[in-house]
Amino acid sequence: MRKSFAGSAFALAVALAFLVVARAQTDHSGAAKTADKAAAFDAHDLTGIWNPAPFMQPKGEVNPLDLGGHPNPLPPFTPAGEAKYLSNAKFIAAGAVLDCDPFGVSRNFFTPRPFEILLTRDRLVQHFEYYDNWREIWTDGRKIPTDIDPEYMGYSIGHWDADTFVVDSADYNGKAFLTWQGFPISESMHQTERWQRIDADTLKIVFTFDDPVNYAKPWSITGFWKLRKDWVLDAHPCTLSAIKEYDDRVNHADKLPGRDYAKPDNK
Amino acid sequence: MLGFSIKRNYAKGCCMKSNFIKGIGLIAGLLFVCVPIFAHHGGSDYDIQHPVTLKGTVTEFVWANPHCQVFLDVKDDSGKAVNWTIETLAPAVLKRAGWSRETLHAGNQITITLVPSKKGTPVGMLRKVVLPDGSELSGGSLGEQPPQ
Repeated sequence: MRKSFAGSAFALAVALAFLVVARAQTDHSGAAKTADKAAAFDAHDLTGIWNPAPFMQPKGEVNPLDLGGHPNPLPPFTPAGEAKYLSNAKFIAAGAVLDCDPFGVSRNFFTPRPFEILLTRDRLVQHFEYYDNWREIWTDGRKIPTDIDPEYMGYSIGHWDADTFVVDSADYNGKAFLTWQGFPISESMHQTERWQRIDADTLKIVFTFDDPVNYAKPWSITGFWKLRKDWVLDAHPCTLSAIKEYDDRVNHADKLPGRDYAKPDNK
Repeated sequence: MLGFSIKRNYAKGCCMKSNFIKGIGLIAGLLFVCVPIFAHHGGSDYDIQHPVTLKGTVTEFVWANPHCQVFLDVKDDSGKAVNWTIETLAPAVLKRAGWSRETLHAGNQITITLVPSKKGTPVGMLRKVVLPDGSELSGGSLGEQPPQ
């Protein structure tokens, strides 16, 4: 009798344990389905606020945030391109970035601050938080015009190649820098970008710079950004009055030498 | 070096893997924070390897682009107050770290950890602040940080 009771109790315990495990598996399965749903994404939906993830850049590439004064590796400069880079770097070290000239496209990307992507009927629009810069990428099938004046931000067109958004741009005015280090841009530059939303939260862009004036061959940088669904962009315009006040209060307190605002000849 | 009673936070050598990883993370973080220093602090530089901690009284808090600024009276060993100029990152970055324009007011007694100017001037870049109520705020970060 005692054995029978013990056997029944054991059987009941096993049954309860089975039920608990089964329930747990059901819950786990449900959680997994929820996670799958959260991870689902439309590869063609690039809208939202994207924050740079520079630590994801592959090793061995030119690092646009290698700002110690001696970036390594360097792009494949032509002799003329190297001379312009050295001149630009000297200019930047003297405080040249305190001016409010537009950054151009790539230097905006390589500033470690977020940008937002908006879509209209015929354009993908980028709004860069830092210095409030805007870029239009035309998506209506047009070609890059041949009869327009070059600009800091150039002229950009984009189309989908399967799940990759391909952007071509040209008509740069050669006055901006490619990166914060002062890598030069000429009016001959043609820039290609291949954008891929590689998962729900990650955007990967491979930039290729083809500028025969400054670089011996086309070269590339791979960048990554993370989607920040809960963010809004903040106001950060470049205003000379605010920069002058900062300069007066911080830089002068640090006894910095006078600045050389004369721009190098970047043509 | 600066003539003040300051607490240095030198990195301690250690063979433990976790500390090594934390160290790499710290260096990576400092590299990110170097960007605005390069951007706005001209040809000068901060001693990012040797952060210091200062206790003092806020004399002014400027909430403005390109970088906010905290002005802090810190008494030296002789009791004389020296007014430090301590810059931060931009308001947009500070907001994401929990700051607002009301975070600091003149008269607040606070503790700030900063990286000082290499020139030995009372100028620095904020890393962390301990507010009068004991709560802490970081100086924010630029870009996503690597997973720890």
